[in-house]
Amino acid sequence: METDLNTIHVFKTNITTVDPACQLRKTLDEHQDIQQWSIDHEDVDCVLRVVSNVLKPETIIGMINEFGHECQELN
Amino acid sequence: MRIRDVDKEKLVIATAIDQIVRDGFQGFSMNKLAKACSISVGTLYIYYKDKDDLIQKIGAITALEYFTNTVKNFSPQMSFEEGLWKQWENRAAFTMKYPKEVAFFEIIKHSPHSEIILDSIKEFADFRKIMTEFMDNGLRNKELVPMTFEAFWSVAYGPLYTLLNLHTEGKSMGGKPFKLTKEIMKEAFSRTIKALKP
Repeated sequence: METDLNTIHVFKTNITTVDPACQLRKTLDEHQDIQQWSIDHEDVDCVLRVVSNVLKPETIIGMINEFGHECQELN
Repeated sequence: MRIRDVDKEKLVIATAIDQIVRDGFQGFSMNKLAKACSISVGTLYIYYKDKDDLIQKIGAITALEYFTNTVKNFSPQMSFEEGLWKQWENRAAFTMKYPKEVAFFEIIKHSPHSEIILDSIKEFADFRKIMTEFMDNGLRNKELVPMTFEAFWSVAYGPLYTLLNLHTEGKSMGGKPFKLTKEIMKEAFSRTIKALKP
């Protein structure tokens, strides 16, 4: 089934690398409201893409900020 | 509320193909693509996870179009000569109509993306089955001489692709202007089929 476009959230971040063992990865991987997530490290904007039916962009921004990273929604 | 914009999607696909054919994978970026399509980079990321995802998705669409066109009005039950000629006609028609897509397909084919793309197209298995059946029938009916697959492929399609490359470039050896006609194609085909028959 195709993903509902309204459940995809896209952010500009300063997350240049995500260590396989780091807490950020663990949190996103294990979050029950996140179906899928990825960061494009090749891109200058280190774009974070989150698929979630439930989470609001502000909630995701808050989560990323807590890990000490900048995060801004891309419209 | 986001709504799928089919025209924008088509524009993105066509522009990505243009840019990759022109600049290669290395010179291509999501930012450049978004700019050329006058859309925000955010919108692009709604549809594609990253550059690799975009290349693979567009590659799959192009490959599927190519395979579908190759077997148009073709049946593995055809006599070997008739079937191979149909393949030549279909492959030539597609290449002449969509030279950029074919150039993109060639880049993809020789890249690490190719396996992922082919595995993602479920119709590809059918395509392979049809082509194997066609060859098997040719062998069984003694219309085709048994040979290594790669040797067969190079003889069966090599001449066609050489002519198509010259046609796409618009010139042949020594820069002489060249346009592939049905007559020239038939000329090459008649020699090819002779080489493949027992």
